[in-house]
Amino acid sequence: MTRTENEVTRAFVSLASGLASGEDVVEMLASLTAECARLLDIASAGLLLADQRGVLHVMAASSERTRELEVFQVQREEGPCRDSYLDGAAVSVPDLTQMIERWPQFAPHALAVGFASVHALPLRLREARLGTLGLFGTEVGCLNQEDLSLGQALADVASVALVQDRSSTDQAALNAQLYGALSSRVVLEQAKGVLAQYGGLEMQDAFDVLRRYARDHNLRLTQLAHAVVTRQLPSQLLLDHARTGATPPT
Amino acid sequence: MLSRDQVRAGLGAAMSGSISALDAADGLCRACVGLLEVDGASISLTLDGTNRGTFGASGDLSRRLDALQFTFGEGPCLDAVRQGRPVLVPDLDDPAETRWPAFTEAVLQAGVSAVFALPVQLASQRVGALDLYRSRPGPLELPALTGGLLAAELAALPLLDVLAAHREVIGRGERDSWTQLASLERVEVYQATGMIIGALGVDPSEALVRLRAHAFARDMTAGELAWEIVERRLSLTSSDWQDPPDRSHRPGLEPSP
Repeated sequence: MTRTENEVTRAFVSLASGLASGEDVVEMLASLTAECARLLDIASAGLLLADQRGVLHVMAASSERTRELEVFQVQREEGPCRDSYLDGAAVSVPDLTQMIERWPQFAPHALAVGFASVHALPLRLREARLGTLGLFGTEVGCLNQEDLSLGQALADVASVALVQDRSSTDQAALNAQLYGALSSRVVLEQAKGVLAQYGGLEMQDAFDVLRRYARDHNLRLTQLAHAVVTRQLPSQLLLDHARTGATPPT
Repeated sequence: MLSRDQVRAGLGAAMSGSISALDAADGLCRACVGLLEVDGASISLTLDGTNRGTFGASGDLSRRLDALQFTFGEGPCLDAVRQGRPVLVPDLDDPAETRWPAFTEAVLQAGVSAVFALPVQLASQRVGALDLYRSRPGPLELPALTGGLLAAELAALPLLDVLAAHREVIGRGERDSWTQLASLERVEVYQATGMIIGALGVDPSEALVRLRAHAFARDMTAGELAWEIVERRLSLTSSDWQDPPDRSHRPGLEPSP
């Protein structure tokens, strides 16, 4: 794995400036998982957040493919990410084939999609446990210490991003913010579905159409997804924009 | 106060054995009173048109208080739905509290000092709220608030049932409430719901109602059917998906002005 100091710096600067400019948390976390997949010696990254029941939900992933999202999601019942969340500690799984007995649902699921190893890093803010960052590789083996440290640093950025209002440290306010972030992900998945159906697209492409339109029109991703799902904004408009790079005059 | 697990189990069991969606909603409200140290609870549905009104309540007074919000067109429940976040009013008698003058006066007269309204979501659409009432002023403690948020999640189930009433889909049965809810909280269900919106031009909650109805009709889980839709093994353009919902009858809703 070759990465320059420069690339790492740029990743942190880009995440921080997204935060400062009031970027959507969902979009920020999507960028973060994409940076993980790019900078670390892994194939895919996913971020799971816990709701007030302690149930984990997929919040962002470097791939928007439904089958990969499902691998993260199945960990609401069992898996390294769930263990990492519950213990508040990193969990390293260099070889998933050794773990089928421990995680009879998760391990076969992950192997079937082509993953061979997992490293799960906890998302924490002071005493509060928020969720996990899951790093998935397609080859057997442990991540080196440098990658793990960088991964944990990125997870810490995510934790801070999730608690936007740093002055409100109480658990109730934290719950409300996490609740909002989780709802955003639901509406984002729905919007992907609307566009996929309407334009005959794959989910990953539907996500790209959404993100492109949001960026070019300076809209928050969640806000745009909501407009698509409630049909306030015609799906055709987004599809046209993705095709031509321009919005037709209205 | 009970532990979170006890509250979770108590709320989950509150709707088992109920004979209708309304009965389930009443049961959930009564469980809130028993488990969350509040004196009353109610659930309202705030969708537009005919789908508005008080839906479940722990008792007559709570039902009446909830209905007042629709009479006056104001109240913490309506604000919670509009803003998509909990609206917590620990002291209605506080002079600084001026948001809902008519509602506040009526509720204070009925002996209620604090109201906590928690939004209820169905497929990302805010469809109603769970209201908790307390006779003494003061904030809702964290365990009770957490329990209330759990109850508000469960409240989606009877609302889903009442919206599907014309299709005679009964979601209760051998599976417990939390399992039912978990079966709907899945990436593929969210995506399939979106695809139904895209294909049929319906609202998110209606899309979820249809997904669930079709799953029942095919003896599948919502997740299984969702995979068929997401992987395009099942067409959404066939006539049996078109079925326009009959909106003429919503059993049990209080008439709203």
